Amino acid sequence: MKRALVTALFALLALLPRRALAAPIHLWHAYRDDELAALVAILAQWKGEPVDAVSLPYDAYNAKLAAAIPLGDGPDLFIAEHKYLGDFRYRKLVAPVGDALEPGVFSAPALAAVRDGEVAWAVPLSNKCVALYVNTDLVSRVPGDLEGMVDLVGTIRSPSGAAVVPLAFETRNAYYVAAIFSAFGGALLDDQDRFGLVGPAAVRAIELDRWLIEKHAAPEDADGALVTNLFGSGQAAFAISGPWLAASLGGKNLHYRVEQLPIVRATGLPMRPLLGVESVMFSPTGAARAEVRALARLLASPEAALIRARYGTPSARSDVVMPAGDVRAFAEQALTAIPMPSSRAMSAAWDPANRAIRKVLRRDVDTEVALAEAKHRYDDVRRPLPEGTSPLPALLLLGILGLWGAFRWTQIVRAPGFGAELRRSAPAYAYVTHAVIAVGVLVIVPLVLGAATSLTAGNGDERRYVGLANFVSILTARGGPLLTTGSFYLVLLVTVFWTVCNVAFHVGIGLALALVLSRPTLRLRAVYRVLLIIPWAVPSYVTALAWKGMFHRQFGAVTALLYWLDRTLGLDLQPIDWFARFSTAFAANLATNVWLGFPFMMVVTLGALTAVPEDVLEAAKVDGATRWQRLRLVTLPMIRPTLMPAVTLGAIWTFNMFNVVFLVSGGDPDGTTDILVSEAYRWAFTRENQYGYAAAYAVLIFLMLFGVTRLGARTARLRAQAEAT
Amino acid sequence: MASVDVQNLNKQFGQTPVLKGVSLAIPDGSFAVLVGPSGCGKSTLLRLLAGLEQADSGTIRFGGRDVTRLEPRDRDIAMVFQSYALYPHLTVRENLAFGLRLRKAPAAEIDARVHEASEMLGLGPLLERLPRMLSGGQRQRVAMGRAIVRRPGLFLFDEPLSNLDAALRSEVRVEIRKLHDRLGATSVYVTHDQVEAMTLADVIFVLNKGVVEQAGVPLEIYGRPATRFVAGFMGMPAMNFFDGVVERLGGRAVVTAGGVTTPIDEARFGDALEPGRNVTVGVRPHDVRLVAEGAGVPLPVTIVEALGMESFAHGSLGGSAPFVARVEADAEVKKGDTLHVAFPTMHLFDRLTGASLRTPQP
Repeated sequence: MKRALVTALFALLALLPRRALAAPIHLWHAYRDDELAALVAILAQWKGEPVDAVSLPYDAYNAKLAAAIPLGDGPDLFIAEHKYLGDFRYRKLVAPVGDALEPGVFSAPALAAVRDGEVAWAVPLSNKCVALYVNTDLVSRVPGDLEGMVDLVGTIRSPSGAAVVPLAFETRNAYYVAAIFSAFGGALLDDQDRFGLVGPAAVRAIELDRWLIEKHAAPEDADGALVTNLFGSGQAAFAISGPWLAASLGGKNLHYRVEQLPIVRATGLPMRPLLGVESVMFSPTGAARAEVRALARLLASPEAALIRARYGTPSARSDVVMPAGDVRAFAEQALTAIPMPSSRAMSAAWDPANRAIRKVLRRDVDTEVALAEAKHRYDDVRRPLPEGTSPLPALLLLGILGLWGAFRWTQIVRAPGFGAELRRSAPAYAYVTHAVIAVGVLVIVPLVLGAATSLTAGNGDERRYVGLANFVSILTARGGPLLTTGSFYLVLLVTVFWTVCNVAFHVGIGLALALVLSRPTLRLRAVYRVLLIIPWAVPSYVTALAWKGMFHRQFGAVTALLYWLDRTLGLDLQPIDWFARFSTAFAANLATNVWLGFPFMMVVTLGALTAVPEDVLEAAKVDGATRWQRLRLVTLPMIRPTLMPAVTLGAIWTFNMFNVVFLVSGGDPDGTTDILVSEAYRWAFTRENQYGYAAAYAVLIFLMLFGVTRLGARTARLRAQAEAT
Repeated sequence: MASVDVQNLNKQFGQTPVLKGVSLAIPDGSFAVLVGPSGCGKSTLLRLLAGLEQADSGTIRFGGRDVTRLEPRDRDIAMVFQSYALYPHLTVRENLAFGLRLRKAPAAEIDARVHEASEMLGLGPLLERLPRMLSGGQRQRVAMGRAIVRRPGLFLFDEPLSNLDAALRSEVRVEIRKLHDRLGATSVYVTHDQVEAMTLADVIFVLNKGVVEQAGVPLEIYGRPATRFVAGFMGMPAMNFFDGVVERLGGRAVVTAGGVTTPIDEARFGDALEPGRNVTVGVRPHDVRLVAEGAGVPLPVTIVEALGMESFAHGSLGGSAPFVARVEADAEVKKGDTLHVAFPTMHLFDRLTGASLRTPQP
């Protein structure tokens, strides 16, 4: 009786909602350093329910939200950039903020960023955009317009005498090019979610960017680290960057101020940066609690804004005066900034835009062509889901197969002697069962589920059965020409070429090394064997990342080797941007995968070589064969039956070698070095989760490999039969 | 066709000397057999002749040409291996044609020679088969055919019959000899089987522990062995040996062994018969005569081996030395009997050196 009571009590406790017991407010954020200090200071002013503030790593933030909130394990409110609102709303992670938003106190762009029509989905906290940094040690006035930067080339000297580049910004990043584009009246995405970086305005904007680089007014190939470096070391007079740059200038002996972005002479319009609004959002459960909304009001209050301003973050409120200096300048710039579109379509626009910009800057293609391609890419990703069709035909087919299977099964079972045979084999089944279960669960079930997924399109609420529509779409290259970028056939061609090259090198090098290692006179054979196994033993992604580093244009080991060769041999070698062209990017991938894969072939060949009898080789020697002839006419034909399965395996593994292609070249340049598996990955995980499409790719890969190996096996069997007769 | 002349060949594997100063001469067109127990160096010698190993010192000449440092392909030789060493991935025809193809012989000539060899060896119906579909004897013939097709100056055989069953062995033995005669070739044949040596050879070289103990025609090797080893190695069943001392008895030389005295043929052993000399007496089972009691040496019989056409009686001479005597099949000897044996033909060897004490033939 006592035991039952205790159990009942525990059950009751377990069943009570956690919140009802303790009622703290759960707040999630991804702040660190200064921003975290500001938040702590703000929360110290809260006089309500206890607040449980959890800091999450930035990289996993969105994923954790998406995983936890639908299960009810997420926060009541969380702080995130407004640009994710589209995605959050789609996944039902947020709810309207209701009375948490004070009317009339926020700047117009900030309000526009969080509102959809009349409904506000977040409470703005702070504005983040880029502005113009001015190194006052080097220059005293800002040029009247962006083009004026070119006039400053060569005129500014740093105290140490080094040349100074007028303007440092991330010249190939669409985020920054968007600011130039805005001065030509354009936007990356129009309000109908159509791709905006096309047309004459876009052409002029990108070509202005290129012109600045080619006139040495801005650096080429600049990433954030380089910009910070250049401005921070006094090698750039101006920089376009955000508050983060100020944070890294802290300890330096540099005098600067922040100004508004200049106008563009060609149109007379100012550059308008993209605006990111950091805001408070509510989960559906949190939005219902009054105290949660009150906390949000505190977080967005003027007092909080001032605290944040002390730490260098401009507020989104229009009724608070920011302290003079950087913060006020950023806040002013934010008033003319364009809110980043928060629709889900935006995430699909970055990749095509960035690629197009890079191509144009490298002068690989005409600007119009590059932009048209970018738009095509964007449309590709954003194409509407196919109509759902009825699964009836497929179910009918399955049903018929099932009936036929059942019929055959009854036939087998009814055959005489079946029962007795089954009983005799029972011990065998006992041995085999667990293996069957394991293989079934780990291999068969995922295979079947993957194939089933390939028959669907869309995800979440929009998932629907579409039959073979995905396959048709892939195989007809989505209606475009069969060999454009991203088309299945082009990628297939690249994959086949990739496989052939790799296997050729694997077998060639593996065979050569095995022949060397099998000479009885080689000393330290055991040592060499161990050394040569190491490439295979190291996990492939470690190798891939290491090699990628080695191919870095500035700091890589391969580049250093080229420099050394250049100096010692007096060759006129240019530093190679390995991932700028297909040939060199492919070569980099190839080098990495060959390094990874030759030990396997070497080991298999070594084993096969031990089966070649010594006396047959001696007979060939006596018959008059040179070493090369012995290799070609005796050794190789004798090891071929053993090598064939290994080559088949190697080919299949190479065909599907995701790690190397994804991590080394990442598909660069422009997706041309992508193979089928990495292309499938992108469809699943970078292009709005089109799992069905990616699954269809996977099924196609499977069918192709299956077909080829069966063909190979059949040819081998026919050949063996022919020999026997 | 070529004669073979080997001078002072030395070969060492690591620290182990395998051939010590071996010299031999094989006349052109003859069938030479290298025979000896396992480890005597005969296979190594053959491989040195083939060029599959390199000698440490010494010279090898084929027909006067110094081939010591030449590769096998330049020596104009063909070899038949113990395990046949056929190319498993090629048909019989392709196996036969392999060497000629390497030398880029014209297709017509290749066909003709392959046809000729297959005729000689009866390989016609087997030409399109792979080696794994042939029996041992068939493979052996293909191996020989492969050697014949090349028409080399010198044939080398490395124990080619060892892997065949007994019946096949004697059959193929004859075939080999006939082939040799037909081709008029020079052949060097290695075996551990002294029956093969005796039946095949024109000249035999008996090797033991890396040296040639005796070279000569078969009957000479058999009848006049130069050392105790050669005497004991050749002949089946092996020669009987027992130790003795030379003495003079009643004006005649006798040897006393185990309390038994036997007269010695002075014509054969004249020089060496000083009394008191320690000798080893060798008597072949086939040279034993049964005599009346008292005229010979008693031999109590422990085992009788009846082979049908003859029998061998095993016993111990004078109670100590094991002894085998050949008796007629119908002699009705059985275990427990005592035979009385005499040795009209005996061999004497110095007990220490093993060298034969026979007066050398003029």
